[in-house]
Amino acid sequence: MRKTKALSGAAQDAYFRRALKRHGNLSAEQREQLVRSLKREVAQLRLRLIPLPHAGPSAPLPATAAAAHPRVETSAGTKPDVADASFDPFCPNVVVILRTSGRAAALAALANIDREEHLRLLAREQRLSVGCEVASLAQLRAAIVSAAERRVANRVAAAS
Amino acid sequence: MTRFLAVSNRKGGVGKSTISVMLAHAAAAWGRQRVLLMDLDTQCNASLMLLGGEGWEKASRAGRTIADYFYDRFDNVASDEAVYIINNVGDVAHPRTAPGRVSLLAGSQQLEDIQGELYLKQSKKDLHADAVALLVRGRMKRLMRHFGMDCDLVILDCPPGLSFAAHAALDMADQIVVPFRPDFVSQFALDRVALLIERVENAEQLASIPFAERRYCCLPNCLTGAGHERLLIEQIALDHPLLATRLPVLDSIARAFDWDESKKTMEQKYADALAHLRKLHAEVFAGTHWRAKSA
Repeated sequence: MRKTKALSGAAQDAYFRRALKRHGNLSAEQREQLVRSLKREVAQLRLRLIPLPHAGPSAPLPATAAAAHPRVETSAGTKPDVADASFDPFCPNVVVILRTSGRAAALAALANIDREEHLRLLAREQRLSVGCEVASLAQLRAAIVSAAERRVANRVAAAS
Repeated sequence: MTRFLAVSNRKGGVGKSTISVMLAHAAAAWGRQRVLLMDLDTQCNASLMLLGGEGWEKASRAGRTIADYFYDRFDNVASDEAVYIINNVGDVAHPRTAPGRVSLLAGSQQLEDIQGELYLKQSKKDLHADAVALLVRGRMKRLMRHFGMDCDLVILDCPPGLSFAAHAALDMADQIVVPFRPDFVSQFALDRVALLIERVENAEQLASIPFAERRYCCLPNCLTGAGHERLLIEQIALDHPLLATRLPVLDSIARAFDWDESKKTMEQKYADALAHLRKLHAEVFAGTHWRAKSA
């Protein structure tokens, strides 16, 4: 007997909407915002067809907890808060900007990101290795672009 | 005029055989073409998908595989090419009145050994190693071309490695579809296969060839929708022409190739993958952005 069911695409979106509707303290707009975030981050989910035996009825979460509760998996297995879900760590594509428009343009694109945790998340998700010791935001941005340069050089070397 | 389409990537597990068979079915069913699939991969996956295990074993025992064909012809054993071809393979039903059908030149696990043997035979002519390799490749290419007589489209399902047969297929193909999974090492594999296809030595020389003039187009396959896939596809698109079709990971594609004797319609076989296949078929066979090799 099947114990779980995989959901993706429209069925997955519908499940997110159904699940979030149980939390009456979320406005329709907040729910849609969460659905959009989850859609962006989650490719497929697996639903239990039989609930866990000791799981009690789910009570509505307080507004603040509800906002923080749904967590999303990134490719690295990290779990950024939904507060961060509006931040897309794959945008800007640093390697693409570096190659098409140069170092200054890549730095300029990163200048719009003003939180260290966002820059570090971007670096991690784009596999651009930066050290922990980088002190300022400007240094961190420069380290990300340098890592992108190394990545490009690495690929060119392999193709020669 | 017969069109030769290769499906190739030096990296394994990117879906070459699956896509070869899907394109063969689509061209026969929707393009009403007489398609021959030539299985150059010693794993013989395309042959197993189209014949099943028993059918493939029967073909092997009867000496009706691509390895037998090369071996016989290199030894000048005169027999009609048609002897090696198995007609109406696969589990998609085509109307009797329509010309569309899929035929197969079955793969063989012996193909690699036989290529070595053919190389040694040619070596006796006292030539330099590179010249012998060119001779073998050239001969294979000519032998493969013979199969163009009775079909509209030949699909060459290439092996991951670089055998003489794979080189010959890349040389002779009018168009090449290069499926890839968007992961880190795929970038390197694409760069390398592109150099081979366009017969250049480095990335700079490759970059000097406009996308519209390249013989190959890359096909992102097995997508899950993860952010890093988008990132890599954007990066790959800077250096290589990409098809607009994106093939997601779908159970219906995986299950379409469980061997099943009963004939079915394209809709039954491909289920929710059908829309993706239609898009791929339209793009590959109606695409005008690919340079015609003869042009």
